[in-house]
Amino acid sequence: MNKALKSLNLSRIGLNLFIGLLAVFILGPLVWLGVHAFASDWQYPNLYPSGLTMRWWSKVFLDSAFATAIKNSLVISPIVVLISMFICLPAAYAAGRMNFFGRKVFMITLFSANSFPKIGLFAAIATLYYALNLMGTFVGVVIIQLLGTIIYMTWIPAAAFAAVPKNLEEAARDAGASKFTVFRTITLRLAMPGILVAIVMSFLASFDEAQGTYLVGAPGIFTMPTEMYSLVQNYPIQVAAVFSILLAIPSVLLLGLARKHIMGGQLAEGFQLK
Amino acid sequence: MFKKSMKKPLALFAAASLAVIGLTVPASHAASSTIQVYISADTNIQDLWVKTLVPAFKLAYPGYDVNVTFDLHGDHDAQETAKITAAAVLHKDPGVDLIDGGFTTTLGAAGLLYRPTPGLMPNINDLNKTVLAAGKGGIPYRASSVLLAYNSTNVTTPPATLDDLLAWIKAHPGKFTYNAPNGGGSGYSFVQTVIDKYLSDADRKTLVVQAAPELQTKWAQGLETLRQLNKYTYGQNGTYPANNAETLKDLATGLVDMGTVWSDQFSSALKAGTMPANIKVTAIKNPSLTGGASYLGIPNSSVNKVGARLLANWVLSPAAQNLIVSGTLNGFPVIPLNKLDPVATAAFKGVDILNLRAGYLSANANDLKSKWASTVPGK
Amino acid sequence: MISLRSKKSKEGSLTTHGGGPSPRSLVGLALSLPPLLIVLIFVGLPILIGLTFSLGFTTGPNRVIAIIGQQIHKKNHWWGTLGAYNDVIHDSRFFGDLRLTIFVTVLSTTLVLLLALAIALYQRLIGGRKAAVLVTLSIVPLFVPVVISAWAIHTFYGGDGFMRTFFTHFGINFPTLTSTPSAIVIGTVWTSLPFAILMISSGLQAIPDALIESAKDCGASVFRVIANILIPLAKTPIIIAASFTSIGILGSFTIPLFLGPNQPTMLGVEISNFFGAYNRPQQSLVMAFIVFAIASGIAVLYVRSNIKSAKESGRL
Repeated sequence: MNKALKSLNLSRIGLNLFIGLLAVFILGPLVWLGVHAFASDWQYPNLYPSGLTMRWWSKVFLDSAFATAIKNSLVISPIVVLISMFICLPAAYAAGRMNFFGRKVFMITLFSANSFPKIGLFAAIATLYYALNLMGTFVGVVIIQLLGTIIYMTWIPAAAFAAVPKNLEEAARDAGASKFTVFRTITLRLAMPGILVAIVMSFLASFDEAQGTYLVGAPGIFTMPTEMYSLVQNYPIQVAAVFSILLAIPSVLLLGLARKHIMGGQLAEGFQLK
Repeated sequence: MFKKSMKKPLALFAAASLAVIGLTVPASHAASSTIQVYISADTNIQDLWVKTLVPAFKLAYPGYDVNVTFDLHGDHDAQETAKITAAAVLHKDPGVDLIDGGFTTTLGAAGLLYRPTPGLMPNINDLNKTVLAAGKGGIPYRASSVLLAYNSTNVTTPPATLDDLLAWIKAHPGKFTYNAPNGGGSGYSFVQTVIDKYLSDADRKTLVVQAAPELQTKWAQGLETLRQLNKYTYGQNGTYPANNAETLKDLATGLVDMGTVWSDQFSSALKAGTMPANIKVTAIKNPSLTGGASYLGIPNSSVNKVGARLLANWVLSPAAQNLIVSGTLNGFPVIPLNKLDPVATAAFKGVDILNLRAGYLSANANDLKSKWASTVPGK
Repeated sequence: MISLRSKKSKEGSLTTHGGGPSPRSLVGLALSLPPLLIVLIFVGLPILIGLTFSLGFTTGPNRVIAIIGQQIHKKNHWWGTLGAYNDVIHDSRFFGDLRLTIFVTVLSTTLVLLLALAIALYQRLIGGRKAAVLVTLSIVPLFVPVVISAWAIHTFYGGDGFMRTFFTHFGINFPTLTSTPSAIVIGTVWTSLPFAILMISSGLQAIPDALIESAKDCGASVFRVIANILIPLAKTPIIIAASFTSIGILGSFTIPLFLGPNQPTMLGVEISNFFGAYNRPQQSLVMAFIVFAIASGIAVLYVRSNIKSAKESGRL
C-alpha cells in the first residue's frame, strides 16, 4: 500500500514539477518582458526595476502611424481569410475525399511553394505585380497575404474532411436525407473543428505577414507588423514590452474562443462514435 | 453552404470589404505637387526629415506636398531595390521620387539614378567634387562620422589611437563591442579601420573610388587581427551585436564600456534620454574611424523628377544645411562652413568635415562584409 | 478502424468501368484549380524566373538585378551555368550553415513532438484540470508575433536577463545563452509548440473512448494502448505537425537572427545576408533553392505516408 502511495506522490510531484517548468519556459520570457513595460531603469542583477513609469506607454500610443497600421491589419486580414475559405475549402474537400488525377502533385505543390524563402523572389514578384498593375493596390496586398494562408486552408480541412466516416453519411442518405443536408449536417459539422484551426492559423499567417506586404503595399498600405518591428527594434526593450502586453489582450480573448470550440466539446463530440 | 448563424456576420464582412476597397484604393500618384520621399535609416534621420526638413521646405515652397515613408535600419532595402529595378524595367511608377538610404549608391552604380547637373540643380556647385563623383548619381546631403563611445565612469582616459584601442580591448576582456558589419555602419567602420591600418594611403584611396578585387588579398592581415580579438570582445566567444541599435543598447545598459557608434545617432540618443550622460564620445587617430556622406537619389523612373530636384536642391542650400547642423541631429554639412551660421558650426572647429576618411566603394564594402563573416565570427 | 470501413465498394476510384477518368475525378480536379492557379502564378512563376537567374540567364526580367548584383555568373551553355552553384558549395560558410540548419530543425522538431505528444497523451488518457492547464500554457505562444517572441526570449536568456539574474542570487553563474545555437532551439521550440499541440491533441481526441476501453479490458498496458492504438490512429495529425514544424524551422529568419550566433547561422539568415549586405543575389537564390529542395523532400514524405495510411484505413 505504501509503495503505491509513494509512487502516486512521486508521480504527482513529477507532474507538478513539469507544469511549473513548462510555465516558466512559456510564460517566463513574456512576463519578464511585461514587467519591463513599466520600468524606467533596471540595473543588473536586480530582480526588479529601480523605478516605475508609464513613459513607454505614451510613446506607443502617441505613434499615429501605428494606429493606422493596426486598423489596416484588422480590416485586411479578415477579408483575406474569407477569400481564402471561399477558394480553398472546395479544393480541400476534393483533396480529402476524391482521388482525382494529380492529387499528390496538387498537395505537394501547395506545400513546397509555401516553403520557398521569400526574399529570393522579391525582384520577380515586383516585376509580376507591375506587369499586372497590382503594385501598391489593396488587391495586391490581399493576394500576397492570401498566398500564406493557402497551405493552412487546404491541408488541414482536407485532413478533417477525410476523417469524416463515410458510413455515417451513407446511413443518413439511406434514411432519406438529401445530399446537401448530409453535407451540411454531417460532413461539414464533423470537419468544422479542423476548419476552425485552419481559420485561426490563416488569420495569424495573414496578420503577421510582413515581407511581401511591404514589397507590394508600401508606401500607401502599411500593416501592423511593419510598424511594430520599427518601434520594437529602435526603442529600448520597454517598448517591446508594452507591445507584448497590448497584443496579449486580444490573444487571450482569441485563445478563450479557440479553446472552447477546438479543445472542448465540439471537437470531441464531432469525432466520437456514439 | 454555411450555417444560418454565420450568414449575418458574413454579409457584414462582405459589405465592409466592399467599403474598404472603395476607401483604401490608394490615390494614383497625384499631380506633380506631391513628392514621395523614402528614408531608409535610423529614427534620428526620420526625425530630421519629418520634424525639421519637410516643414521648412513646405514653408519655402508652399505649392508642394511631401510624403515621407520611413524604413528602419534598412530592413526592407531588398524590397525597395527590387521594386525600383522592376519599375525601371517595365517603365512604371516606382512609388518614390527621392531616396535617402544606403542603397542609393548601388542604384547609382547600376545606372538607375538621374544624374544631377548644375543647370537644373545649381547648389551642386557647392559640393566637394570627389564626394559627388563617388555617389555615381547620388547627391550627398549630410555627413557623419563614426566615433568611439566610452563609459566615462569606468574609463578615465580613452585610447587616442587605434593601437591604443586594440591594446585596451585586450587588457579589458569582454568590455568592448562592435556590431557585425553587415548589420550596421558603426561596426563596419571599425572593421574597415582595422583593415586600413595595414594598407598604404594609395591602396586605401583606390578602394574608396573603384572596385578593386585584386587589392582585397591585402585585407588578410587586418582580418586576422580582428579574428584574434574574438576572445576579448563582449561575450568573449566571437559573437557580435546585429546592428547599430544593439551596440548603443549594450553601452546604455552597461554591458560594455566601449563601442563604436555613429556621431549623429549617439547625440540623438543622448537628447532622447536613452543614453546615460556618463557615456561620452571621442575620435581616434592612425587611422581614424571612417565617416562619410549620405546620398540622396532620384530614380530615373520617378514620376515627379521636377519636384524631387527642387527638394534635393533646397536640401543643399545654406538654410537647410543649417538645420542639419543644429537641432537634435548635429550632422555634418556638405557645403563649405563659411556659408553656414557661425554659431552652429563652432562645434566643428578642427574637424575637417569635407575630408572625412571615407568608407570603401559599395562593391568593395560588400565584399569586406562577406569576408569578415567568413573569417572572423565564431572562429 | 475495422468497424469504420465501408462494406460498399470504395468510392472515388480513379477510373470508371468504361476506362476513362471518372466524372468525379474531373470534378475534383476542377475544385482544386483555384488555389493551385493562384499559387502557380504568384509563386510558381517567380520561382521559375529565379531559377533561370540562378543558372545565369541575365536578360529579360533578370536584366536589372544582374546589373545591380555582384559576382554574377552569366550563362555559358544553352542550359545556363553552374557558376553560382559552385560558389555556394565552395563557400566556407555554406556547409556550416547547412549543418546548423539541419541540426536545429531535427532537434527542435523532435523536442516539439515529444512535448506535444506527452501533453496531448496526458490530456487524452487522464484529462482533468491539470491537463487543461498544460494545454493552455502550450498554446500561449501562438498569438505572440515572432518579433516580440524573439525579443522576449532574448531578454530572458541574455547577458542581463532573468536566468542569469535569478541564479546570481544563488551564486551560480548561469551561462549567457543568447548568440548560441541553444537559444535558437529554445526559440523555435517555443514558437512551434502551439501548432503541434493543436494538431496532435485534436487528433487524439478523435479516437473513440470505446477503443481505448476495450483494449484495456483485454489487458493492454498503458504503454501498449499508446503505442499500438493512440499513436497509429493519430498518425496523420502527428505527421502534419512534424512536417509543418520542420519546414517552418528550416526557413526561419527572425529567431536565428536575434538569438543565434553571427556564424554559423541558419540558412534563412544567410540568404538574407547574401541578398542584401553582400549584394550577391545569384548565390542567395542558389541557397534558397537548396532550402526549397529540402522542404519539398519533406512534403513528398508527408504526402506519401498520408496516402499510404489512407489506403490502409480504407478511406481510399
